[in-house]
Amino acid sequence: MEKITVKIKRFDGRESYYQKYEVPYEKGKTILWLLTMIREEQDPTLNFTSACRHAICGSCAVQINGNAFLACNTSLDEVLDTYKTMNLTFEPLKNFDVIKDLVIVWEPKMEKMEKVKPWIIPSEKGSNEHGFLQSEEEFHQIAAPTDCILCGVCASECNQLAVNQEGYLEPFILNRAYRYIVDSRDGSPQDHLQPVLENDLWKCLHCMQCVSQCPKSIPLTDQIAYLRSSTMQMGAVNNQGAKHAYAFHDDVKNKGRLNETMLPIKTDGLVQTALTKIPFALRMIKKGKINPLHMPKQISGIHEVRRLYEYAEEVKS
Amino acid sequence: MLKFDVVVVGAGGAGMMAALSASKDKNLKVAVLSKIFPTRSHTGAAQGGINAAMGYRDNTDSTEKHFRDTVKGSDFLADQDAVEFFTSRMPEIISELDFYGVPFSRDENGHVAQRPFGGASSPRTCYSADKTGHVILHALYEQCLKNKVQFLNEWFLLSVVVENGEFEGLVAMDIREGKIYPIQAKSVVIASGGFGRIYWSRTTNAINMTGDGTAACFEAGIPIKDPEFIQFHPTGLAQTGVLLSEACRGEGGYLINRVGERFMARYAPEKMELGPRDLVSRSIETEIKEGRGFGEGMTSYVLMDLRHLGEKKIMERLPQVRELAMEFEGVDLIKEPVPIRPSCHYTMGGIHVSDFETCSTPIDGIHAAGECCSVSIHGANRLGGNSVADVVLFGKYAGIGAKESAKRRIFGGTTKLEQEATEWNAKFKAIRENTVGTSMFDIRNRLAETMWYNVGIFRTESDMAKALETVDELIEEYKDAYAGDPAEKYNMAFINYVEIGNILKLARAVTMGALNRKESRGSHSRGDYPTRNDEQFLKHTLIYKNGNKYRLEYAPVKITKYQPEERKY
Repeated sequence: MEKITVKIKRFDGRESYYQKYEVPYEKGKTILWLLTMIREEQDPTLNFTSACRHAICGSCAVQINGNAFLACNTSLDEVLDTYKTMNLTFEPLKNFDVIKDLVIVWEPKMEKMEKVKPWIIPSEKGSNEHGFLQSEEEFHQIAAPTDCILCGVCASECNQLAVNQEGYLEPFILNRAYRYIVDSRDGSPQDHLQPVLENDLWKCLHCMQCVSQCPKSIPLTDQIAYLRSSTMQMGAVNNQGAKHAYAFHDDVKNKGRLNETMLPIKTDGLVQTALTKIPFALRMIKKGKINPLHMPKQISGIHEVRRLYEYAEEVKS
Repeated sequence: MLKFDVVVVGAGGAGMMAALSASKDKNLKVAVLSKIFPTRSHTGAAQGGINAAMGYRDNTDSTEKHFRDTVKGSDFLADQDAVEFFTSRMPEIISELDFYGVPFSRDENGHVAQRPFGGASSPRTCYSADKTGHVILHALYEQCLKNKVQFLNEWFLLSVVVENGEFEGLVAMDIREGKIYPIQAKSVVIASGGFGRIYWSRTTNAINMTGDGTAACFEAGIPIKDPEFIQFHPTGLAQTGVLLSEACRGEGGYLINRVGERFMARYAPEKMELGPRDLVSRSIETEIKEGRGFGEGMTSYVLMDLRHLGEKKIMERLPQVRELAMEFEGVDLIKEPVPIRPSCHYTMGGIHVSDFETCSTPIDGIHAAGECCSVSIHGANRLGGNSVADVVLFGKYAGIGAKESAKRRIFGGTTKLEQEATEWNAKFKAIRENTVGTSMFDIRNRLAETMWYNVGIFRTESDMAKALETVDELIEEYKDAYAGDPAEKYNMAFINYVEIGNILKLARAVTMGALNRKESRGSHSRGDYPTRNDEQFLKHTLIYKNGNKYRLEYAPVKITKYQPEERKY
């Protein structure tokens, strides 16, 4: 019979090591089935968390071959097919502290989440006695973000968090802030938005990993774009992120293309760029990546580009 | 020693509501102890909704109608004073949840939307798409964060300590550290959920629904009320028990046995697959019992065939169901029939709550709310949409009750607390050091098997007597069972060991209650006593545990308004 070779990263509170198990392959099973088989039939010392086993409690996310998945609703066959292998390596989620084996700690994340006031700040239109009125359309604004099950997959996949645990907020935290910012019942969206801005909102790398792995398909990156434009509307236009966005916006509108030499100067200012980016720029020039003397000309189809801008404005209003 | 004025055990809907109301008094030290991180709690699995007679969709609806429907649904075993209290307060709870930020679906007037549900005479089930429990659980957790409720996450309840009828506190384990602590408390709210896992793989319940709080109270001398009443849902997925919505049959799905028959023709020739839940469940099990199912033993099943509905209809009406079948059974409903079997869904019985307004039990200072207990508002059968309602409303009142208890009571003694903590430490050590014996998982699986076959959907004297014998044997074997993890920290094998001990105790109470109830009422269906017998059994079962002795008593049902009548739909 065909066997799956499973390597699991173990951690006993002090040391970590990889342990190998072999499990007979069965068709139509889930990743959670595989972990449960190992624990109940081979090794009761193996620890992982799971509860509902139908993708609503968010307990059982783990990394398989370097990507994060919810174990209970991930098909074993699909994983074997995706990675074209019978060898699977399990590790705890990235960007979390590990307690034991595949078990991670959530409390520090919740403390971080409290920064964005992840609760309703009720507007004066509602009361404890009568609740609120909210239109169907207003409800639809908060329908997808409240699908979040706090499984941690997005945080594990986040490449900004990997280098910036202290400064950046987990995508699920941004989602929680977004959820109240767009909730018509919330009386103080800025109280959720301000902390988002102050915690490196502009540092999202647009790698889209969070969105592509989210088991609930929550449009996290669209939300980040919305949060950014909300901070600009709030008047926060003098920060690096907003200036960078304006530089892109203006360059493409004017010439139809980016002026990469000018981009850092527009974003950080001349002095800051001179202080921090010159050695980098020199290396880029040396390797032929940029040409400081090249000033991009307007492209021939610039009118079409500008028409796109006009259209975007129309759609927005 | 750790000391709190109020401890709440369990962080689901009932536990968090209780914590929120108890911690309104800022002079009280309140803690919530939960074996899992709060948002993992099983309240989150409730999909359909929460009943409250708001009258938004049907202005002829009233709390009185909700009251009547609930009593009728309970097959007249619910306490009517408690049901009236419950239904009359539900509308204000919905507004409260709305104010807490719960994202309810809305109607065209901007009110909370309501949908029809089984057993309800008006569409009164408020909902948030198909994730009502999930969004309520998260909103309550957010409120707890806002109100700085103290959580002891991944702490596991080992015992509720009562000395000479006086509540002293709890013994609990900090799972991460592997340390066992006595905790002094003036009052406690047990909100630890149901115990559907007595049927292990044949339940829609999360894997940790092992009735820990119910078992601890049982052990401390509080009786279990009406444990024999267990609700089964006909269409659980065969491998996992995960629920496939009633909509499958509603849309016209066929139930097929191994010889290719639509076997419902034998049991409900007119209604066929659209017969009521309990009848369809019994029919499926009969087919399996008589050898017309697929597979064998606990993994037997029949098929539900939706292919004739066509891809278009399946994609339009049942997309979630298709997804569930693909993810958890590896079957695409458009192309293949899906293996299904009934699944235990809900335990109506539990810790005996003797005063519904404060949710207190017979022991002063101990309160309970939610599926772990029986108030009783569900009687012999719970209506869909009444469980989330139950946890939120009675969670709130249990919290208020526990707050008042804590203000009134003083800390009790610590002798028995210390003693029980010492005993648990010794047990923990012994289990970790044990290297032989029957695997605890094996005991768990055999318990599920005997409960499923003998105290499941069909019940007869001889089968249940057999089950009682098996359960007693398993209880013996369990004492020397093998858990298999010598570690101190995060020893989930030990936790599982205690959980299995809990379901064994509770399964015995279920069996005993069912054996003695010689009638069929609500979810309790006996082949040898097929009709309801109000003369002898219009009363609550109360089972007491004293060491190894189980004792059964009955208590009267409170009937205020609705005299029992035949339950017809």
